[in-house]
Amino acid sequence: MLTPASQSHGILKLREALRGMRHVLRISGNSINDTLSSDVLPSPAADLASIALRKSNRLAKRVDSAASRLGKKALGVTNQTIPSLQSFAGQKDGGLAFSVSFYAGTQTVLKQLNAEGMFVSELNACKAFKQADMPEDADAAAAAKLIIDLHEANVLTGLAYGPARIPQSLIEPVTLFAVVLWLQSNRSETEDEAALSAAIDISIAISVDIGKAFLSRDQTALAALFSEFIRHV
Amino acid sequence: MSDRQPTDHKLLPTNEPLRISVRRLRWFRAAFEKFAAEIGAEIGCNFCIDDEKLAATFVSWLRAVERQKPSDKSARKDYFEFAAGLMLREFTGNLPLQALSVPTIAAPDSAAAFWPEGYVCTLFCLTVHAAATEQEFKDRPDLASAFDDLRHWWSFRENIREDNRFSIGFLQLLLGHQPDWSMPDVFRARLNKEISNIEPQSGSPARKD
Repeated sequence: MLTPASQSHGILKLREALRGMRHVLRISGNSINDTLSSDVLPSPAADLASIALRKSNRLAKRVDSAASRLGKKALGVTNQTIPSLQSFAGQKDGGLAFSVSFYAGTQTVLKQLNAEGMFVSELNACKAFKQADMPEDADAAAAAKLIIDLHEANVLTGLAYGPARIPQSLIEPVTLFAVVLWLQSNRSETEDEAALSAAIDISIAISVDIGKAFLSRDQTALAALFSEFIRHV
Repeated sequence: MSDRQPTDHKLLPTNEPLRISVRRLRWFRAAFEKFAAEIGAEIGCNFCIDDEKLAATFVSWLRAVERQKPSDKSARKDYFEFAAGLMLREFTGNLPLQALSVPTIAAPDSAAAFWPEGYVCTLFCLTVHAAATEQEFKDRPDLASAFDDLRHWWSFRENIREDNRFSIGFLQLLLGHQPDWSMPDVFRARLNKEISNIEPQSGSPARKD
């Protein structure tokens, strides 16, 4: 018989597979749209391109709804109102709880950065959190190590669709920093959304500092940035 | 003394001491949005806020405040005023607020009509300063008559185009104090301390602390 934890891991893997499929379908749909536009193609090819695009969109929608149905399934983790790094670290199977919050937070950050189109791996985030072996009193240094581990686990892959608010090279460091900064902030349930938004804007404002520290994998500099801004989200 | 006082305006409520809340971007942003909307309604002007510039204002201000923070607790009250001036410097440097219309209710010879964005940002800094000072020191700073004198506002707007540090001196002037125009962005108490450390040693080799 499957334990609740292994069931949750199974759901996580299945959800990741569906999201991967959705990602590929969206990218191919966009490519067809961009390169094989029906108004520039001659008649038979234009018809084929339109059919391919329609089918690809329909399939993407079906995969979308399957993935979100799975998203709503209980993952067997404690229902946290205020997700925080410290609580995940002190929780049995905290990697799962972390990956759920990380995925949701990252999607919001990418949207606010106008950097949608990148693939966010919840599964790799879960693995990276376990790998990081966070202490229960996770501090700025542990948070800095975590974002390097997340990067090395390839939690963010692909390129943003359109022109983002920051240079492409800064999207990953700023996104990871913003999410982990948000997860360390002291906030109430009603302030959660505003806190994430503030973490994003602070990260954009210090994006050059984040990029510099991230590029050289300087955990001390990243920890100093976390220490500087944790109380100001 | 001006007829207008910074305590005329209510800031966004907070459960924390204001000195803490104002250094949280989520409160700072919400408070500034509310303040700009209220003053906008009062003077008949719609404003648009650039969130990215507002965050840049906030971050530069935090860093500037930390940089000169005095260790001497007796300088704390003076530093509150200086920090409000630094906030105004960052507002005028980043300009996160934009008037979308000409103020329709403000008197034509008023600061609000002359420069609505500068007026809102200045009044916000003064209001935060007054509320924090009242909370921490049980003291209510008054606005000087300079606040109602359009010539000071004209000079403020002109001078910050060349040197943004002028904002700090301008805010001190509005609070009835004589600014140090030569180095307005250096906290005076620290400067005085440094000068007094140097004076007894004149003529003798410099000693490291």
